[in-house]
Amino acid sequence: MPRLKRIYDWFEQRLQVEGPVKEAVLHKVPRNTASWWYVFGSAAFTLLMLQIVTGILLALVYVPSAAEAWNSLNILNHQVPLGWFLRAIHAWGSNFMVAVVFIHMAQVFLFGAYKFPRELTWTVGVFLLLMTLGMAFTGQVLRFDQDAYWGLGIGVFILSRVPWAGGALVHLLLGGPTIAGETLTRFFALHVFVIPGMLLFLVAVHVWMVLKLGINEWPMPGRLVRKETYIAEYNKLAHEDGIPFVPGAFWKDLIFSGAVLAAVAICAAVFGPSGPGGQPDPSITQTVPKPDFPFLWIYAVLSYLPPSMETPFIVLAPIAMVAGLLAVPFVAGEGEKSWHRRPIAVLALSMVAVSWAVFTHLAMLTPWSPHMNAWSGDTLPVEYLREATPLVRQGAVIFQAKQCRNCHSIGGHGGERGPTLDAVATRMTPDQMRYKVVTGGGNMPAYGKNLSPPEIEALVSFLETLHPKNEPPAFDASQQAAESSGAPAAGSGSRTP
Amino acid sequence: MRRGALALVLPLVFALTGCGRLPGARAEATPARPEDVLDFHTLYSTNCQACHGANGHNGPAMELGNPEYQALVDDATLRKWISGGMPGTEMPAFAQSAGGMLTDAQINAIIAGMRKEWGSPSAFAGATPPPYAATQAGDVRRGQQAYQARCASCHQKPSRQQVTSPAYLSLVSDQALRTIIIAGRPDIGQPDWRLTDANGSARPLAAQDVTDIVTYLGSLRNPAAVSAAPIPVPRGGTQ
Ligand code: HEC
Ligand code: HEC
Ligand code: HEC
Repeated sequence: MPRLKRIYDWFEQRLQVEGPVKEAVLHKVPRNTASWWYVFGSAAFTLLMLQIVTGILLALVYVPSAAEAWNSLNILNHQVPLGWFLRAIHAWGSNFMVAVVFIHMAQVFLFGAYKFPRELTWTVGVFLLLMTLGMAFTGQVLRFDQDAYWGLGIGVFILSRVPWAGGALVHLLLGGPTIAGETLTRFFALHVFVIPGMLLFLVAVHVWMVLKLGINEWPMPGRLVRKETYIAEYNKLAHEDGIPFVPGAFWKDLIFSGAVLAAVAICAAVFGPSGPGGQPDPSITQTVPKPDFPFLWIYAVLSYLPPSMETPFIVLAPIAMVAGLLAVPFVAGEGEKSWHRRPIAVLALSMVAVSWAVFTHLAMLTPWSPHMNAWSGDTLPVEYLREATPLVRQGAVIFQAKQCRNCHSIGGHGGERGPTLDAVATRMTPDQMRYKVVTGGGNMPAYGKNLSPPEIEALVSFLETLHPKNEPPAFDASQQAAESSGAPAAGSGSRTP
Repeated sequence: MRRGALALVLPLVFALTGCGRLPGARAEATPARPEDVLDFHTLYSTNCQACHGANGHNGPAMELGNPEYQALVDDATLRKWISGGMPGTEMPAFAQSAGGMLTDAQINAIIAGMRKEWGSPSAFAGATPPPYAATQAGDVRRGQQAYQARCASCHQKPSRQQVTSPAYLSLVSDQALRTIIIAGRPDIGQPDWRLTDANGSARPLAAQDVTDIVTYLGSLRNPAAVSAAPIPVPRGGTQ
């Protein structure tokens, strides 16, 4: 033992880290910060370490070339022992990290922990969030399967909407005008060198400030933050009713980080790695690509936006969001910390959380792109055609052939960009349906130029049959009167020569 | 010490041997490229069944699963329609050479699969049907008479009259009509060419009858007569 001590001393004499480390480890924090609410930051840090370790291991096998990337992931999945598990851990670690970072941020926001003197900690944190998302996005691209390809395609489409610089930005990101081999090398560099480098640097700054400024005390209603008095108040609190950071507060961090790691391992073992799905190839359009979950909501929002709003939204929304986040500590740097006295903050947070959940849910439930195969692959329910007349049968063929099915579901199958049409005849008269088909509107293409009169008649007579047996189709009262007085029914399905 | 090592090694061994069986482990083969799929059922259900029905029956378009249809038509004809589409109908062209998604090998796999699944050597029970394709010209007047004599018994009911409507006929080709008359469509109740006469005794249509009827129906085809009703601006007043 004395020999060990001597070696230790030899190093300590030269490095002199004992003092700072002791200070960091033993510095007093207010007793009530040793709470289960304060564990998310350290969990994010643990997950970052996990991602670095698993990422390095993955890089040993992964080949960042367009020709080899997809194959090398399949080799990992099927040939390298436990390679699939490594991929699964890295993928799930990423999902967890994004989630934990968001929760951490929500907690900091709710606890007013961004207020004086921790404004810069929050600002750096916002950039850490962006880099975490950047890692998740670039990582998804490295999978270089169909999801990655189309996910990136839409990301690029978003970028290309930036006024003036759009084209140049796309070129910079993709290494050319299209997604190709250079794109993958670029994303590899981003994912492995550029973003992690910045991430680690900013994490160091972030943690340094947490240690130096102390952990935010538990917010009490009525205890206001004032720039003149806060530091003194905090020091008093930490010294009079404080405990050393280690082990007083630290054991909860350890336990929670351990639990998160276990959860990652369990998810990895049960759900496995994600993909790689089909080969990335622009010529394969028989696919329903889906981006990873942190980005799902964006695609849902985009698919629900009217086209005229897309560009302003795409360009302005991200800027507004980041600017809003950065502004938080400078707008509300003083005053109440407790959520009991900050109704607007609580409402804002709940609103963001609910909208995010709703859009993610929508994006998971309803495909945000049309079902490309529905027209040739989804059958019509047999009972819908049982009573069909020849014209109705032709209408059904046209319905399939003109790819109406890619956007409209029938019998539970088909795309969901447009409303399901199982009972459309109870909502619309034949005239209204004909009008809709011919003129389109509201994300429904206008078919007027692409359908001949017989095709329109057949199509409408098929749509007219789409109503439940016990529920009569909608009809136009004035037209019925005309019909019964002998005027020809305008294109009704049972018209005879 | 030794026990400690065992305690370390055992879980490791368990982990390494058991992990392959965890639910997340990837066992399934890597996804094939769409153009490498040669399985008939996959090809049929992703490309054809929306129009021709699951298993070739009950779809809005031709009943490909009808054994009589399979016996009537030869491979070259099938290949022609599937590759290049059927002019005058909504049957799309599937061959890559015609802008479709399927390779020639896939089209051959579909044809072979239809023969195997739906073909039957005894489909006609010894009878000889009229040829698949018309061989001589038809005559409208004779066709009208034949239609009245042989088809009208079923097709004069108001709900079945559409067979002679210009709108319906504008959407089907002569060949599709001919195929339906000869091979029938058991799934919708259309009999094959071996119709019974008014007394209920079998009196199959002759090849010339079929051609004449198709010519007659073709003469009624007149897309211009189908004016799509003027597009009214819908009034809100639905009930
Ligand atoms: C690109 C996707 C898309 C395609 C393809 C498409 N639709 Fe639509 N359709 C929509 C959308 C979206 C709406 C809802 C429009 C609105 O908000 O008014 C709609 C509405 C309709 C409606 C009104 C339904 C209602 O309940 O209000 C009918 C009828 C309809 N479509 C028929 C068709 C037919 C027939 C075709 C094929 C010829 C077709 N659609 C093709 C997207 C599509
Ligand atoms: C968009 C609808 C649609 C799809 C999808 C479709 N067909 Fe067709 N097909 C038709 C129509 C319409 C006809 C014309 C006959 C009729 O009206 O019934 C037809 C005719 C045919 C014929 C010729 C029938 C005859 O008269 O001899 C064959 C063979 C055929 N289809 C095979 C296929 C195969 C195989 C596929 C899948 C690779 C396919 N079809 C996909 C609509 C379709
Ligand atoms: C035993 C009664 C019967 C006879 C005889 C008959 N049909 Fe039909 N036909 C039907 C039925 C039932 C249907 C299906 C219901 C419908 O489409 O109205 C049908 C449907 C059709 C169709 C539409 C097929 C489709 O795909 O939509 C055509 C075309 C047709 N018949 C032509 C003829 C011709 C031509 C003749 C005379 C050679 C004829 N039928 C004789 C019963 C008959």
